[in-house]
Amino acid sequence: MMRPSQIALTTFYWAFIVYLFLPLALMVVMGFKDSNFIGFPINAWTTRWYVQVFQDTAVLQAFGYTLLISIASTALSLVIGTWCAVFLGPARFWGRALVFAVMCLPAVIPGVISAISMRIFIRAIGLDPGTGAIILGLTIHNVPFVALMVLSRLGAIPRSQVEAARDLGADSLVAFLRVTLPFLFPSLLGASIFCMLLSFDDFVRAFFLGGYQPTLPVLIFAELRSGMSPAINAISTVVLVVTAALGLWAERGTRRLKGTRS
Amino acid sequence: MATTSERTGNDAALIRPQDGTRGFWTRLTGNPAYQRASDLLLSSDRRRFWLLAVPALIWMFGTHLGPILTMIRISFLDSYPPTAGRVPDVTLENYLLFFQAPNYITPFVRTFVYSTCYTLLTLSLMYPIAYFLAKKLRPSRQMLFLLLLLVPFWVGEIVRTYAIMILLGNRGFLNIVLMGLGLTSRPIPFMYTGFSLGMGLVYLTSLYMLLPLYASLEKIPRNYLEAAADLGAGSWTRFRRVTLPLSKDGIASGCVLVFLISTGYYATPVLLGGPSTTVFAETIAGFFHVAGDKWPEGAAFSTIMLLASLVTVGLFLRLLGRRRGSLLG
Repeated sequence: MMRPSQIALTTFYWAFIVYLFLPLALMVVMGFKDSNFIGFPINAWTTRWYVQVFQDTAVLQAFGYTLLISIASTALSLVIGTWCAVFLGPARFWGRALVFAVMCLPAVIPGVISAISMRIFIRAIGLDPGTGAIILGLTIHNVPFVALMVLSRLGAIPRSQVEAARDLGADSLVAFLRVTLPFLFPSLLGASIFCMLLSFDDFVRAFFLGGYQPTLPVLIFAELRSGMSPAINAISTVVLVVTAALGLWAERGTRRLKGTRS
Repeated sequence: MATTSERTGNDAALIRPQDGTRGFWTRLTGNPAYQRASDLLLSSDRRRFWLLAVPALIWMFGTHLGPILTMIRISFLDSYPPTAGRVPDVTLENYLLFFQAPNYITPFVRTFVYSTCYTLLTLSLMYPIAYFLAKKLRPSRQMLFLLLLLVPFWVGEIVRTYAIMILLGNRGFLNIVLMGLGLTSRPIPFMYTGFSLGMGLVYLTSLYMLLPLYASLEKIPRNYLEAAADLGAGSWTRFRRVTLPLSKDGIASGCVLVFLISTGYYATPVLLGGPSTTVFAETIAGFFHVAGDKWPEGAAFSTIMLLASLVTVGLFLRLLGRRRGSLLG
């Protein structure tokens, strides 16, 4: 027998789940509607929007471009974020709190301000808007998340292992590469998936830092502003499936890796 | 525990030389060039510290702080990007412009009022859910229920904003249901209002409220509540005197994150809002889209917005009696 407060909370939870999933479910359903008009009711069904999307070179190019940018910025973020974490983790020096705050800064600055300051910054250092600028902007935004994830795992590393490696004659670089880095692997995997999702979904940086080639979110945004074609449901559904699959796979992967030690 | 032996076995595997790689590491460390570099860079704690510190500090101060400082510098110039043969003058004009025109101040005030309201709304929606997850579920089910909430947040800002448009449009699901039930005879214009914008922002940001709340609630030991119950506290008193004060850190981080993130959205207000809900992000973006030289004004307005957000957050944290600077720590 559940108490009333328990019932109320359970109901509220499921109501919120409906609120989260309903709009996405409607979007998926709308992608199969056989009409040029987006809206309810739906009287006829088709898969032609999907066919159209997979034949649309602009969409495919944007997809590939976004994937490329995400992978590049994720790789850079991992290296730089781990480097910052390994530096800040054990280091004790005057002003560490300030350095820590500067490291976290890009994660808390409102998105539009971050994008616009980046737009001015790349102009000041003589970089043109385009691929390099987006990758730089995304990397700056991702680094704090990687660093924080790595720092939290770094705090749990058994010192004895590193010391044992050093006693066996490994210098600090080899000890890092062969002991610390494998130990960090679960958090690195988690961080890389998180960065992939952040980068793939990012709109505001790609919008202000991009060149002529749009990323997928920028392309969808442009379509939404210029009158909506039902093909947008199909594009969005593909993005939804890809990101949700990636996220679920990562969730399973990281849980299994963490499960081996606890 | 049975896992102890597994753990040692696993740990040992990390440093056991593996076949095929042994040669590589031996050759690497035996290489005279590597040894010279290692002596130079890694031979003392101080050298290792600087080897790690210099690139990290260059990156952090260059790219994390650099854009903000550049933006502030540009905001005091009378023209940018620079034209050949002309040195820009330092001026306060760009800041004065903000205070002179009501069509700049209105979106600014609106942004802060909206963001504050949406943040409080998100808090009041997510607190019961975080409480439910952390305190009412068995630990084995917590992860599953949490995961279910996480899934929609892997999808990006634009796609989720669009999903809200389908829900709320004149021919959207909500209107069709309302008309089907006979509650209204013609579509209610939900879209392009504060309501649709609010729906969208809550939809986009609730996770950033949920996770800190869940983390702080989950940490509260069960026996605190049992002790309070033994002392005769009813369920409401237990919540008010034990749970709520102990989840203050979660409330603070959640509110700060949601506030900062929701002020920073650009696409969502453009797509879900209308002329009566123009937010400051749209005003700022306008300076970077029109042809001509409007960057200094845009930079000044961004600086004002950044300062105002940070001051708001600072005041809020002061109000909660929390140390500043421990937001993410």
